[in-house]
Amino acid sequence: MCLFLLKRLGMLALTMLVVSVVVFLLLELTPGTVATKVLGQYATVEQQRIWLETHGYFDPAAERYLRWLAKLLTGDLGESLRYKTPVGDVLWPRLLNTVILGAAVLAIMVPLSLALGVVAGMREGRPSDRVISIVSVVTTSVPEFASAAFLSALFVFALGWLPGTSAMSGGFNWRELVLPVAVLVLYDFGYVVRMTRASMADVMTQPYIRTALLKGLPFRVVVLRHALRNALIAPFTVILLQVNWLLSGVIVVESFFAYKGFGALLLEASLFGDIFLIEACAMVAVVVAVGTQTLADIAYAYLSPRIRFA
Amino acid sequence: MKRNPGKAAMAAGAGIHPAIPDLAALARRGETDRRAFLRTATLLGLSASAAYTLAGLAPTGSRAASGAAGGTLRISMKVQEMTDPARFDWTEKSNVARHIVEFLTITGTDNVTRPYLAKAWSASEDLRTWTFKLRRRIRWSNGDSFDAEDVAYNFRRWVDPKTGSSNKSLFSGLSAGGVEVVDRDTVRLHLNKPELAIPENLYNYPAAIVHRRFAEEGGDLSKNPVGTGPYRLDSFSIGQKAVLVRREKSAYWGPKPALERIIYIDHGDDPMAGIAAIASGQADLNYEISPDQLELVQSMPQLQLFEAATAQTAVARMRVDRPPFDNAKLRQAVQACIDHDRLLELGYRGKGVAGEDHHVAPIHPEYAALPKQRQDYALVRKLLADAGHPNGVKLSIDCRSAPSWEPTTVQAMSAMCRPAGIDLKINTMPSEQYGDIWNKTPFGFTGWTHRPLGVMVLNLAYRSGAAWNESGYANRDFDLALNRANATLDIQERRRYVAACERILQRDAVIVQPLWRSIFAVGSKRLRGYRLHPTNYHQLGGVGLG
Repeated sequence: MCLFLLKRLGMLALTMLVVSVVVFLLLELTPGTVATKVLGQYATVEQQRIWLETHGYFDPAAERYLRWLAKLLTGDLGESLRYKTPVGDVLWPRLLNTVILGAAVLAIMVPLSLALGVVAGMREGRPSDRVISIVSVVTTSVPEFASAAFLSALFVFALGWLPGTSAMSGGFNWRELVLPVAVLVLYDFGYVVRMTRASMADVMTQPYIRTALLKGLPFRVVVLRHALRNALIAPFTVILLQVNWLLSGVIVVESFFAYKGFGALLLEASLFGDIFLIEACAMVAVVVAVGTQTLADIAYAYLSPRIRFA
Repeated sequence: MKRNPGKAAMAAGAGIHPAIPDLAALARRGETDRRAFLRTATLLGLSASAAYTLAGLAPTGSRAASGAAGGTLRISMKVQEMTDPARFDWTEKSNVARHIVEFLTITGTDNVTRPYLAKAWSASEDLRTWTFKLRRRIRWSNGDSFDAEDVAYNFRRWVDPKTGSSNKSLFSGLSAGGVEVVDRDTVRLHLNKPELAIPENLYNYPAAIVHRRFAEEGGDLSKNPVGTGPYRLDSFSIGQKAVLVRREKSAYWGPKPALERIIYIDHGDDPMAGIAAIASGQADLNYEISPDQLELVQSMPQLQLFEAATAQTAVARMRVDRPPFDNAKLRQAVQACIDHDRLLELGYRGKGVAGEDHHVAPIHPEYAALPKQRQDYALVRKLLADAGHPNGVKLSIDCRSAPSWEPTTVQAMSAMCRPAGIDLKINTMPSEQYGDIWNKTPFGFTGWTHRPLGVMVLNLAYRSGAAWNESGYANRDFDLALNRANATLDIQERRRYVAACERILQRDAVIVQPLWRSIFAVGSKRLRGYRLHPTNYHQLGGVGLG
């Protein structure tokens, strides 16, 4: 087990290193634009040259990369060109906002989709299963920008029940979270429902379930004590992987509702060309992506004795 | 009128420029448009009320926000960095700063320039010496007195290349040595060429007056917001929010504005966000909407729509100093593909005026009507053949992706070029990326904001060597005609020189200009007294919430 963990952490470190090289090469190979961003478009060529020289932009690329990496490892993420403050001051609060959004989405989606998936799996082939499946497929097929526009048109403009943007400019406000969460839940729950349904349906046809029923155990006990434990392994790991999507895949929703989250931050930084912020965001995204993958693998191995003792 | 107009004017204001009485006579006879007279007379230092008297009109007086209470106004607008007013390159930055720091003059929504921090001004007859008298008893927010030293400091800063300010080109006839402090309340500018529009130029958005120790104390307005304006900066965070709180009555020299607080909220890049915010009561006003959203807004009775006709535009400009566009015939060919009226319909739903490829708008006082530009495919083919492209040519134009009317218009242009054999490929990119290449790309579509006088953009963009001359255009005849226009205050005569400039630009086909666009903004029904400024400047003194 320990070895397994160490190997996975090693993979994480290696992936981060590779991504850091790629990101650095993409963004910092041409130093000219950095100077324009900092000094403004009307600065003279001479002023730009002096600034670039003072900040070490004329050193060889390898040296600059290692310098950047060293600073990163000590926690110095650089300064944002757009916000003119240390990257951390902007990044961590926005990351927290996305975590809050993600947590709210998971809090609603997980019980909902697991319950629906279990029901659909137990009643495979029957009308209730059909309805649940169709709804799941339809909602997953509608892209977020479409459902965001539709829900907004309905609840903001037509009915006036909910606020139109979620900028939280007056401090944290639950009502402003409703629409973004609703859009994300609508988009994502169908996938997890279908996964759960498939897993549940598969388990219900297993011999040990038949044995338990034949032994005389009540159906409810069979489902709760025998079927669920096995059926939920796969959906659990799938849900862990959704966490990764909830970090950067929510750009569309965050942008539409003006929610100040990590996805919107990465989008704005990319449009502006805020190099150090983009690099830091990319590193965070890699950590989350590989981290959740690793966690999912570990969880799957732990939960499924067949794999654990293999 | 039996009165001597000169005497009446003297009674109403300070000593006047010698040419004004003749202009007044012209205005009365109807040979000069009254509006144009008002503009020129106030430019030359006549007070607005005196000008109105001379032109035989009743002065308008300040508009009170009738019956509206104060309150907090929330505006949905991008909150960008606000470090150095002299280096501002987006209007949004100046809107937050506008309530903290002020300008020497102010151009209202009616396009007339009036005194502000400067209470009067006068110019020598050759228009090379300008004298500004400043208001007295104005205090900075840190307690210092406002005087001519502050103003001189700003002028010198603007023309210093180290500052990196676009004002350097705007005041191209001024050098640091030409700024003279006559006394505590008087600043004199000695220009090396005649300049007609100095007062108008002083209301350009990067020309706010900062404290004389601005650079010494850090050079960052958002961290050290010292200003003469009626509001102080309570909090400021880029990309999120800016909160402005009204100063106590005794602290501000002018009339107390009705609004107690102004809050700017950044709702990101999505154009719907601002409208959604106003519709749900999270904001009261937004910065601008595109014509695509007009139908939506007009269908919502709870929203107010504001409209302004402007000289805002965008030009498809070609780099005339390098291939392929150094060939005038190729440029003329591109120009001849365009049906401007149709382009206005397609690109902007007809909400504006068709362009004429010379960057002077019909609402400018010195606009001269030329024979209409026509789409002529036969001519295009002939020009292409002469230019060495008998079988058509492939071109590429760079365009930013927002605001949406720009790529829409460029696509319509491309469609108009195709039948004549010009394959115009469109390269769309984010605004910030276009901002890096706007003056380097061979063919680009660049937005230009409104300016009250036609000569202003001609000075900024088409004069040889000007800072914002994005097409590399350098034509001595054009420069000479423009110099003459700058030195001529009589509107009729100036129009002749401007006509020459227009003709030269059209003939040299430096730009293809599709349209002059009207702009729109949206507000809640509670908003009172707001008028949309042609340059999106937020003049909120008379605004209140009902």
